[in-house]
Amino acid sequence: MKQDSILLFFCLLAITATIVFVWVFRSSIKAEERTPGIKNALQKRFWFLLILVVVFGIFASVTLPKSPYFAFAEEVPAKVIHVAALQFSFFLSEKSIDPKSPSGDNIELPLNKVVEFRVTSLDVNHGFAIYNPQMRIVTQTQAMPGYINRLRYKFTKPGIYHVLCLEYCGVGHPVMQTTFIVK
Amino acid sequence: MESLKLKKITALWVITILVLFLAAIVLGILMRLNQAEVINQEPLTFYTNMTTHGLTMIGIWFVAGMAAVNYLLQRYVKTSYTANLFAFILTVLGVVLLWLCTYLGKFNTGWTFLYPLPFKDLGAAPWATPLFLVALTILGLGWLVWSVSMMAKILQRYTLAQAFAWQHLSKQPKSETPPFILITMITLVGVIAALIAAVIVIVLFFAEYFSKGSFVNDALLMKNLIYFFGHTIANEMLYLGVAVIYEIFGELSGRPKWKTTWYVSLAWNSALIFILTAFFHHLYMDFVQPEGLQIIGQLASYLASLPSVAVTVFSIIVAIYGVRIQWSITNCLFFLGVIGWVIGGLGAVIDATISNNIVLHNTLWVPAHFHTYNAMGNVLFSLGFFYWFTTQHVSKLVISKLTKFALIVLIISGIGFLMAFYIGGADSIPRRYSTYPEALTTGPALARMGAYFACLYLLVILMFFYNIAKRCFAILSAPSSSVGA
Repeated sequence: MKQDSILLFFCLLAITATIVFVWVFRSSIKAEERTPGIKNALQKRFWFLLILVVVFGIFASVTLPKSPYFAFAEEVPAKVIHVAALQFSFFLSEKSIDPKSPSGDNIELPLNKVVEFRVTSLDVNHGFAIYNPQMRIVTQTQAMPGYINRLRYKFTKPGIYHVLCLEYCGVGHPVMQTTFIVK
Repeated sequence: MESLKLKKITALWVITILVLFLAAIVLGILMRLNQAEVINQEPLTFYTNMTTHGLTMIGIWFVAGMAAVNYLLQRYVKTSYTANLFAFILTVLGVVLLWLCTYLGKFNTGWTFLYPLPFKDLGAAPWATPLFLVALTILGLGWLVWSVSMMAKILQRYTLAQAFAWQHLSKQPKSETPPFILITMITLVGVIAALIAAVIVIVLFFAEYFSKGSFVNDALLMKNLIYFFGHTIANEMLYLGVAVIYEIFGELSGRPKWKTTWYVSLAWNSALIFILTAFFHHLYMDFVQPEGLQIIGQLASYLASLPSVAVTVFSIIVAIYGVRIQWSITNCLFFLGVIGWVIGGLGAVIDATISNNIVLHNTLWVPAHFHTYNAMGNVLFSLGFFYWFTTQHVSKLVISKLTKFALIVLIISGIGFLMAFYIGGADSIPRRYSTYPEALTTGPALARMGAYFACLYLLVILMFFYNIAKRCFAILSAPSSSVGA
């Protein structure tokens, strides 16, 4: 899963940073009296900054095109699902949802086809996070009153997917969930 | 150098902050114990605790940075005691009202109070939301007056260009701006901008409240405004801590004082723009937000780390590497704090990448990284300052064996309670759940781990509190002749 790579990447970075700091600390403890320390510090700091800018530049240019706003933008979705969130439940339907008397259907989604979720809220801000059958988030968007967020996704594994609210919406927040099937 | 009155009011700030800090840690531990199913709280109790925990922590560490900067600013300009006292009184009053809102009124929107949640049925008393807005107004007023007063005093001594160190951009600057003044100025601009946004938010909330339904706010605009205020104020408190490090790390270590160079000036000036636009990363999952703003959010989040982390961290490494310096409790805490700050920053940059945020947004990864650079970063900056402030003599800051042991326990407890958050985040455990649905199997076990390590953290903080508070009481009760030695 993507999350495991992220955690591993973070741990490697954190350990590297810690090693550098410990190394610097030990060099101070072991140093003799009246040593000059780093020479040409200003020049080195300049290069350090420049390298960081380049690293960030590369990181941004690689990751930005992978942003969810551009996902499957050119494709026509095989199915459109309307989603209305309301304290503390979700309504999912293939038809438009009437805000005055919202109701939902049991949803079955096709495998390997682009699906578009049109997500809104009828009261406060909610989250709309899709969890795979192993209970890991595969994608998400927010449900905001007065707005419709369009989330596109292609499911590649069959099974029961959970939807959990990820924006605090009141005391019932942790029980706000639903499911749908992908097959 | 500093007046007795300033010393006393700073001691008062320190004690108040530490008492509230201990209370807020206990609330945090209770939350994790509830998620761990070790205790069983009503959801309403959990969420009032959560709201109180967040509001208190943000508030106290912001004023801790402000009080420290105000104290050190006295080295360069004469600051206003009245503004400091005014901010103290309004902060205490605001905090009391906030606690009344949460504990008597059961106000429970979380510290982000996203519109329109405060207007919906929260299980709270009807007076809780207006009182919450009044409490915010009181806090905002106190802090705005304090910030503007400090900025005005800087501008009485330095020209605008000097305060922003613009003359350092030329080859041979005619005058020198100390880094402390530059960073304080940049930070105060951010703080004032954030507080003005808070004023707008409060006015819009009140406008809807009193309109009885004839005026309705826009949820996206409100979310942008709330995060512009909330993110910026939470971010600026770190920079206040950094300003303190710039000012006293060198002298504590027996090293030359840091100087402003052309790129330090350039980096901090551009940081101001990045700091003020990084908040867009809170709205990545609102796909209706214009894409250009989302991309600005990611780039600004990356670039905001350059001057602060890269310049400051490199300065600290330069000051220490291969040099025998005087290691005291204060610069040890500063040094540890910088490590926590960097590691938390790495977690934050990962989360500020939109393609990662899609799987990390509002999971435990978020409290993971902000607790890293707060509990193991900014808090240590402030504790370091508190130790230095209450002794004022490097020789009195010698590290005893007990302190060394406490610092090791602090590191272990920090790693333990933070890793529980990071692993939970990677495991898609949502933040702000009072209890976890059965399907999220690892949630309770990680919460238990987090709670137990946080108890260790609390023990270390209690020891620090004892050491610092007894000296603060000595400052408060000492006759004028013996203070300021």
